[in-house]
Amino acid sequence: MLKIQNLSATVGEGEAAKTIINGLSLEVPAGEVHAIMGPNGAGKSTLSYVLTGRDGYAVTGGAATLDGQDILAMEPEARATAGLFLSFQYPVEIPGVPVMTFVRTAMNAQRKARGEPEISAPDYLKKSREVAKMLNLDADMLKRPVNVGFSGGEKKRLEIYQMLMLEPRFMVLDETDSGLDIDALRTVAEGVNALRAPERGMLVITHYQRLLDHIKPDKVHVLAKGRIIKTGGPELALRLEKEGYDGVLAEAV
Amino acid sequence: MSAALKDMIRNPTVAELELVARYAALKADPRRERLFEAFAQTGLPHRRHEEWRWSDFKAAVTALDTPATPPAADPLATEGVATLKFTPQGYTAPASLPPGLRLLAKEEVQAMSGAEDAPLGALAAALSGAKNSPATLLAEVTGEAPVRLHMVFSGPGAINAARVVFLLRPGARLEVSESHLGGAALSTALVEYTLQERAKLSRIVYQRGGKTEAQAITALIHQDAGAETKQTVLAFGAKVARIETRLVHQETGSHATLNAAYLAGDGYHIDFTSHVRHGARACTTRQVTKGAVLDGGRGVFQGKFHVPRNAGQQTDASMQHNALLLEEGAEVFAKPELEILADDVQCAHGNTSGALDQNQLFYLRQRGIPLEKARALLTEAFIAEALEQAGPHEDALRAEASQWLAI
Repeated sequence: MLKIQNLSATVGEGEAAKTIINGLSLEVPAGEVHAIMGPNGAGKSTLSYVLTGRDGYAVTGGAATLDGQDILAMEPEARATAGLFLSFQYPVEIPGVPVMTFVRTAMNAQRKARGEPEISAPDYLKKSREVAKMLNLDADMLKRPVNVGFSGGEKKRLEIYQMLMLEPRFMVLDETDSGLDIDALRTVAEGVNALRAPERGMLVITHYQRLLDHIKPDKVHVLAKGRIIKTGGPELALRLEKEGYDGVLAEAV
Repeated sequence: MSAALKDMIRNPTVAELELVARYAALKADPRRERLFEAFAQTGLPHRRHEEWRWSDFKAAVTALDTPATPPAADPLATEGVATLKFTPQGYTAPASLPPGLRLLAKEEVQAMSGAEDAPLGALAAALSGAKNSPATLLAEVTGEAPVRLHMVFSGPGAINAARVVFLLRPGARLEVSESHLGGAALSTALVEYTLQERAKLSRIVYQRGGKTEAQAITALIHQDAGAETKQTVLAFGAKVARIETRLVHQETGSHATLNAAYLAGDGYHIDFTSHVRHGARACTTRQVTKGAVLDGGRGVFQGKFHVPRNAGQQTDASMQHNALLLEEGAEVFAKPELEILADDVQCAHGNTSGALDQNQLFYLRQRGIPLEKARALLTEAFIAEALEQAGPHEDALRAEASQWLAI
């Protein structure tokens, strides 16, 4: 499914360009959930931006493919249409654009690009109601401008709402647990788990083990200095929680 | 043409000489003469006049030939609403008018206050009365029931000069929409609104001109105690277009909302100029202007609040202008001015211009919205605030804006 080979990327331009991803390789087969953990500054968020095509990041080597498609050559919207979804660490406020308008526009843009018919207003509303119910989202919230005046937890739940509406094939969750209390964490995890399927894959970026109690990963990778230094099963996350990163980092040297 | 006439404007251009000739052909009237003199002091305004430094009509109006492009379509036309039409060939009004509205076509030219401050308004007044139009068209609005009226100013022709003088009697309500659709080499409209006590005016203005045309829309608004004006403008510009509002709060407790949005494409120029005088205690003004400009387009905002020392106490006024430069090569010039001489006032102003937010653009694109569509969506949201008080016309104005953005 997602295959990253020897990827290197810099942030910044010209003389100020700094290598953040440095020979990273990783493979997430369809049907699996992988977690990426690592200390601050390891390159976790940069990886999510490089994969989704944000401006300001330059790929200097390696490759990334989704089902064999070279995603690095594509525009951000084409990557989204190919099924790549990023749950942002810091969701962006869009004043003046109601959630409904935004998500429906996105849905139909993706459908159009794939040559599918647009979703009708009644079908959209029906689906939206179901998803909102699952996530404990107030219907009024969906009429408000995207993320404007939302609490941290509401913003994260709205990310998952969008994910459930768009039904992407591969999801990158960038610190989706930050800013969530225990109840909200459970709700969000429930939403994420609803999308687990044999044909889908997921990359969960987190600092903490607690999210992984709810979203059980198949594999855990430790990212440091721009590359994967250790890979293990769920028990690796528990060990990191207990010992911190120092032990694992020392082993890798 | 006599030497005296020729000398009215210093170093006249061909277009200005033609304006003099048109004036000379009209019925002599001492008030007309004073109005034309007020115009002739500046002639077609140009960059060396401080108030016109960014909007040079003298340079833009090279010849008064009928433009090749027809007037724009009218998005504000509404079935069943009385419509006044002002064209280079004359003026027409419907046979039946709504109750509460009375029109008086006068053979004499009426004086205009502050003619020297609004040379193109003075020109409109000095040239009205040609062919099938009255020298002064008076419109009186009475009663408590709202009166709806639509006015269209459109070509084709060389010059379209029109003037309407409204008088809103105490407590009267007027809901007027104006479509200024161009089609003439030079269109200049002067619309005056006098609001007596508690009168309410809702004014919607739609402006769209051709790339070879010059357009000026001048509004003079005078408000008595408790009167209220709500104005919303949507403008697409022309080769040069000036939309000027001069409003005087002349009695206590009068309120004004002056909102405007402009969208300037390649080759279009839009100038919003406003002058609000807080000449009485406890009056309020709320002004929001939003613009978006493409490469080769130009937006101008000149807003001024004048609050005199004694009369203007307890003024509450705010002015906001925000412009989006959608492409490299887009130009916006802004000059917000607060002249506050009273000490017990609340006056605020904000002025920004910049590009679309990259974080927002990326967020939309990550969800699969193509770049062009993402830009249009964000720009539409950006200007929406300026259109949200347009009442029944909000949807039509928003549709025009989104159509422009989709191109």
